[in-house]
Amino acid sequence: MTWTWLAVLLGLGSFAMAATMTIVLIGYLLMLLVLIIPTWRICTRAGFSGALSLFHLVPLIGPFIVMAVLAFSAWPNGEAARPLISQGRRS
Amino acid sequence: MMGVEIAALMGFFGLTGAFALVGTVLAGWMAWRIVEKAGLPGWAGLGAILLTLTGIGSIVPLVLLWVFAFMRWPRDEPAAGTAAGFAPAGRPTGGPHPPTPAALAAPAMALADRRGWQLTGTLAGGGMVALAIDGTSGSYVITGAPAAQASDLSVPDPSVGKPHARLLMAGTRLGLEDLGSPGGTFIDGARLLPEHGPRDISGARAIRIGSVELVLSRT
Repeated sequence: MTWTWLAVLLGLGSFAMAATMTIVLIGYLLMLLVLIIPTWRICTRAGFSGALSLFHLVPLIGPFIVMAVLAFSAWPNGEAARPLISQGRRS
Repeated sequence: MMGVEIAALMGFFGLTGAFALVGTVLAGWMAWRIVEKAGLPGWAGLGAILLTLTGIGSIVPLVLLWVFAFMRWPRDEPAAGTAAGFAPAGRPTGGPHPPTPAALAAPAMALADRRGWQLTGTLAGGGMVALAIDGTSGSYVITGAPAAQASDLSVPDPSVGKPHARLLMAGTRLGLEDLGSPGGTFIDGARLLPEHGPRDISGARAIRIGSVELVLSRT
């Protein structure tokens, strides 16, 4: 009798664990979409490939890679910090 | 003793270790630079990162990320070109020549320098190209095709569009407008897009039309 109850409990436990993992995985994927969609648009507006935003899929350092590229490389579509109008420099 | 205080301060802000601290500082710095490149104040980006340390959590920074992605960036505002005295011109309509822009606004003050402008460079084939902008016309079209009019400046290179860009004279200042050619137009290395409108290049040194580098000088 005791062994039967133990088997039931173990079965329920593994089911609960699988359900929890599925929910966590879905939540993680939704969270990634929430990050990737706006980052894709930012990358394309800056002049980079939108696929750069897929670095968000890399755990921990992925977002830092995307931010570093956007922050420290020249934007092909121009930057406000490097104005296209060169003021104060006369030849 | 000092280490204990730093640890307490970090704990107060929810930073669980040195990696979290370094990551937050790095993210704040990069966010500052990114929003500055879009034309927004850098502190807005830093603030968005620092919000993650507060009780608001990461929801508000996520909302701000979406707002930043889809808002209109000051970088894309054509106001700077207009303020410089260059009236925004219409986009090319597909004809052999783009429409002539509206009359250029007068410069803010009279300038004594009446010299013309010159763009010189080397073509991919090795030939030289020299474009003289003497001011007899208010608008010049840079094109890869042979010059059909006096106001056409021909740059015979496959990377140059037909037409490619427009040069505008306003007083003694020179403006440049990209006409949407796939080869691209660059001012001192920064790309000029059609939506930027005419930009003042009087102080620029190098202009790139497609793959042709041109040096801007006074004649």
